[in-house]
Amino acid sequence: MKITIETTNGTTTAHLEGRLDTPASTEVTPYFDQLQEHADGTVILDCTELSYIASSGLRLFLALRKVSMAKGGKVIVKNINDGIRQVFMMTGFLNMFEIQ
Amino acid sequence: MYVLDPHSESIMEEYRKQRPMFLEAENAIATRLRESLTEAGIVVASVESRVKTEKSLAGKLELKGAKYKSLADITDIIGLRVITFYLDDVDVVASVVERLFDVDWDNTVDKRRLHALDSFGYQSLHYICRVPEMPFRFEIQMRTLLQHAWSNMNHDTGYKSGVEIPREYIRNMSRLAGMLELADEQFSRIRSELTDYRRRMQALVASGNLDEVQLDGDTFRSYLDLHPFTPLNRRIAAINQAEIQEVPLMPYLAAFKDIGCQTLGDVQRIIKDYSEGAYQIACYQMGLTDLDIMASSVGPQNLCIAFILRNGGGRTGLRRLFDHLLGTSEANEMMAEMMVEQSASFPFMNQKN
Repeated sequence: MKITIETTNGTTTAHLEGRLDTPASTEVTPYFDQLQEHADGTVILDCTELSYIASSGLRLFLALRKVSMAKGGKVIVKNINDGIRQVFMMTGFLNMFEIQ
Repeated sequence: MYVLDPHSESIMEEYRKQRPMFLEAENAIATRLRESLTEAGIVVASVESRVKTEKSLAGKLELKGAKYKSLADITDIIGLRVITFYLDDVDVVASVVERLFDVDWDNTVDKRRLHALDSFGYQSLHYICRVPEMPFRFEIQMRTLLQHAWSNMNHDTGYKSGVEIPREYIRNMSRLAGMLELADEQFSRIRSELTDYRRRMQALVASGNLDEVQLDGDTFRSYLDLHPFTPLNRRIAAINQAEIQEVPLMPYLAAFKDIGCQTLGDVQRIIKDYSEGAYQIACYQMGLTDLDIMASSVGPQNLCIAFILRNGGGRTGLRRLFDHLLGTSEANEMMAEMMVEQSASFPFMNQKN
């Protein structure tokens, strides 16, 4: 699992690559902590290269959303594949994020 | 440029000396008033405050300086104005002011009551107040947005300019004042009727007479307070011992309306008749995963899906549902298609009525 973070004009984009399963979630938690520091603005989670997400990954997304809401920011989830979209639908997460 | 007699000039001198104190007091009084209105839960359009400018005071003294023995006789050096949205709120604000400050009743004027029964014009409640820590009195004006608009327009057109105002202008402004008074009353009446309606609906929801309760934003909100989807959500969560994240469910109002619900009774019937179907959808989707987190929207979402599938809404109906809930997107078509494919495996779809 790999995450690359870049900030341009107040928008922070995290490019997620690989499988966000339980071990990977532990590994990338510091990156999500870093994203929370930018949660007062727009944070884009670019999932173009993300192939799978487990509950632990959903929890990372959720924690980021909570901090973002508290700080008045916005989290956008971009380019999820059909499998992840299905996970988001069955767990009700589709309602919780702006999906592009 | 103004010309003042020696007496007025001495008042002006006193004003210049006291001006820093006035500015400090204005700020403290306005803050106290704003905080008290917030504490009392009164939403107002604005609270304005100002200290009279030297130019404005000079103009006043030039016109009627002999009327004032000293600066303390001028009661509007510090002025505050509370603009309310509703007519009823003027008196509510007044009661807050009465509790907060000592009101000088001898000099307080309710200009709303000064008009003859058949005349219309400036409407405002003016209180002259004092606080123990300051020797000077101050004025608080209270009026509605519409009264404020009328007053500003009237003032702007120059009634204080000393120029004779044409009779036609006065008549037109009076007609407008009458019209705005009626509008103010109507706004207050509408608010009262809405409050009554909400109370009645809340009582019906609480008593369980859901068929009599029209489905709308207010009633659905009251209904959600009863947590109608919680049993279904708990049942679904039990599939994987999932943790439930509470999320706002108001977006489902449009979804339930779109599938034909007109009363809360209709929503209640969908919960009763389609909960098993909603649970079967969740079992099919989540049962083979280890997903142990879900949002509280899963219950109502699956109820709507089960209702649409069971009643022949098919892909088009599901696409409409997803468009309502998630915003229009091509991806919704894919999800609708996927749900239709899965539906052959849902036991409730194969049951005969």
